[in-house]
Amino acid sequence: MGNAIIWIVWVVAAFSCLGSGIAVVSFSNPFYSALALIGNLASLAVLYLLLSAEFVAAAQVLVYAGAVMVMFLFVIAYLGGRADAPWASGPSVQSVAAVGAAAALLVEVIVVIGLAAGGSLSSAAKVPSSFGSPAEIGQAFLTDHLLAFEITSVVLLVAAVGGVILGHHARSGTSWGSETR
Amino acid sequence: MIAGGWITLFSPLVGAAVITLAGTRIGRRTAGYIATASTMIAFVAAVVAFVAALGKSPDARSQLSTAYTWIQAGSYQSGFSILIDQLSLLMMLIVTGVGSLIIAYSLGYMEGEDEERRYFAYMALFVFSMLLLVEGGNLILLLAGWGMVGLSSYLLIGFYHRRASAVAAAKKAFVMNAVGDATMAIAFFLLIKYTGSLSFSALGQVPAGNRWVVNIVALGLLGGAVAKSAQLPLHTWLPDAMEGPTPVSALIHAATMVTAGVYLIVRCNVAFQAAPHVENLAAVLGTVTLLMAGLIALVQVDIKRVIAYSTMSQIGYMFLGAGVGAYADAIFHLMMHAFFKACLFLAAGLLIHALGGEQDIRKMGGLRKLMPFTYLAFLAGGLALAGIPPFSGFFSKDPIIASALARGGWFGYLLWAAGLAGALLTGIYTFRLIFRVFLGEPSAFVREHLHTEHGEGPISMRWTVGVLAVLATVAGFLQFPPFWEPVSKWLEPVAPPLVVPTNAQEIGTLLIGVTMGATGILIAWLIYGSHRFRAPAASEVLEEKFFFDDLYDAAFYRPAVWLAAMLRRAFEEPVVQGSIVEVATGTRDAARWTARLQTGLVRTYVFAIAASLAVLLVVFVAVR
Amino acid sequence: MSGPGIAWYLALSAFLFATGMLGVLLRRSPLIVLLSLELMLNGANLALISFARHAGNLDGQVFALAVMAVAAAEVVVGLGLIVAMARKKLTLDVDKLSILRG
Repeated sequence: MGNAIIWIVWVVAAFSCLGSGIAVVSFSNPFYSALALIGNLASLAVLYLLLSAEFVAAAQVLVYAGAVMVMFLFVIAYLGGRADAPWASGPSVQSVAAVGAAAALLVEVIVVIGLAAGGSLSSAAKVPSSFGSPAEIGQAFLTDHLLAFEITSVVLLVAAVGGVILGHHARSGTSWGSETR
Repeated sequence: MIAGGWITLFSPLVGAAVITLAGTRIGRRTAGYIATASTMIAFVAAVVAFVAALGKSPDARSQLSTAYTWIQAGSYQSGFSILIDQLSLLMMLIVTGVGSLIIAYSLGYMEGEDEERRYFAYMALFVFSMLLLVEGGNLILLLAGWGMVGLSSYLLIGFYHRRASAVAAAKKAFVMNAVGDATMAIAFFLLIKYTGSLSFSALGQVPAGNRWVVNIVALGLLGGAVAKSAQLPLHTWLPDAMEGPTPVSALIHAATMVTAGVYLIVRCNVAFQAAPHVENLAAVLGTVTLLMAGLIALVQVDIKRVIAYSTMSQIGYMFLGAGVGAYADAIFHLMMHAFFKACLFLAAGLLIHALGGEQDIRKMGGLRKLMPFTYLAFLAGGLALAGIPPFSGFFSKDPIIASALARGGWFGYLLWAAGLAGALLTGIYTFRLIFRVFLGEPSAFVREHLHTEHGEGPISMRWTVGVLAVLATVAGFLQFPPFWEPVSKWLEPVAPPLVVPTNAQEIGTLLIGVTMGATGILIAWLIYGSHRFRAPAASEVLEEKFFFDDLYDAAFYRPAVWLAAMLRRAFEEPVVQGSIVEVATGTRDAARWTARLQTGLVRTYVFAIAASLAVLLVVFVAVR
Repeated sequence: MSGPGIAWYLALSAFLFATGMLGVLLRRSPLIVLLSLELMLNGANLALISFARHAGNLDGQVFALAVMAVAAAEVVVGLGLIVAMARKKLTLDVDKLSILRG
């Protein structure tokens, strides 16, 4: 019974994931694309829960869907009409080649997965129930992966500074560059 | 004695270096004074060395002094050494003595020239090079001096470098000398191969069985001598060399450099004695040259060229003497010739200076009353040149001709007759010059252009000419074969003569020689002095200097130019230049083609990443 | 593990990645390109989490969290660029923005 429920949840989440993914790429209105992406993120969060990654799922919803996408929506709102963008004009060599490359990539990965499915991908490891809990994640971050943790914070700082600079409103007569003259 | 030798050698070099390094920081006159002082110091040192040698016994007079090992290449070794012996002492005295007088003369002659400092530096460099040549203790140093006098000659002939004719003349002199240098190099290569060294003694060490080697060595040395001394067939550069300033003509092309060939033959007499055919060839070349130059001098109208051809002719006498083995006579004539030829050139310089640069004797005339000092100097030099007693040429020229007679055989008689004929020609062309320029009424040109307000010339020019005129008059009494011969005795340990004329031959030749010279003067008087006879029309052969210039032009110059043009067309432009251009355009095209990858569009770049990702994935999977 | 095996999750992540790549390659608006880029990153995240579960190793989840943080930073900068471009009145079309063309 439990297995069937998991399968049903998985199928629903997977299809909504795929569907919203295709929607992101297809809509011409960027607002709709952003909303589709939010749906995609939500489905992914469900899939993470199925994979015993509770903390990551929570972070996904809070950070990704909650903060990053909100930022996206703010910018789309700011840009207003200018944000509307058509599809690339007609099938050109570039678009055909692009489709080809993407398809090739997809096929290759599926093939590899198929090849390994019987072998190394057959049995999943047994994990305790605390797997993926915040305590475990915290433990990992602060012991084994402390450097990554710290560097990530530096990256975020740089991004914040960059954001401020990029968004700086040039007051009449002054700009960043003129102060050095 | 040795110390004197070293000081003599390096004093002019120091002078040249000082003038060069000081550049424009010193005045022009100062440069002249430095050059004059350095050569005079060299002269004093040479005199000191000479006096010291006089005091020694004849065996002890030859000393070799080595400063350090200069070249060491495998088994060959040579040191930087100077050889002070009887022969080099005489040459040193002449070079520094006449050299310092001529440089002092230049103080007045070159005054006001823009590039005076360069001139004096070159003159000092030349004196150093000539001293290196005569003092060099081995053949390598002699060759070094040889090359450097060639260089100094090139620099000084082309001194007026804005004049195309001067530049061309300098190149011609240098190239012809290079031919001589090449033959000398071949001789030296053979010497190293067969004797292992280039010391002077090596000249006699070639195994006598090797006829070819011995002859080629002597021939190579003769080739160098012929080029440097402007004898047939490498003589065409000397008249053109008159493009240089007159003191240069006096020093380099009369008194010293052109006599280096004679010095070489006397110094290497051992090598020549082992190859008698080459020695005969030297005598023949000298004789033909002296006749040919004498004939050409009869029709020249440029005052300096007349004197140049007479130099060529007199050196022919010296080659004749060295060729028959009368080494001391040849060297003595070299010394006397230095005096009277320098006197003639410098007096000609006084003329040219007073006439504002004019050198054409057809425009001159009647200068006897207007420039009496110059006239007397010319007479002194001219009478010496013609061999009239008691002037110096008389004492030095005829013994050479007598030695030819003493050599004997039909060859000796032929040379003797040619030498006497040359004496006749010498008298004619010398006094043709003097009578044309000085006798008669002053020509229109002279009346317009002569400026002698401050005397005939600056004081520095006049006293030096005076000294040389006096020397031309009295120096001959140094040696009077067969009566007293101190010079021959002095040189005997170094260059013993191969032939000694009997008293009868000597005195007979003297008398005939003087008669010939006097007859020449008389002929010149009749045609150019008293105008009793008209001069015969000059044949084209003489005017074109026996067509040697045209011959060399057709035989060497034109083919070389043609070859160069052809190589340029066929090889240089398509292959060399073409390949370079190909490389350049090829690189540029490749770059332009590669730049097409930079489309500036983000999409292309991402596509490139995606495509390569797809490919790499396959590769990774396949490798696994 | 109950439910679909790991292979299904991986296949799904490959689809997401490929879809995102198509979006990056084919769309002209930089905004949509950024959104597609996020899609690709999420596909990678899914793969990471799957493998973490499969191997019983938390490293995958840690990596995924780091990816999330970096993606957030990158979005900040990207959006900042787009806003700056809009302020300079440039056309928001990746095909037209080609000054760096060599």
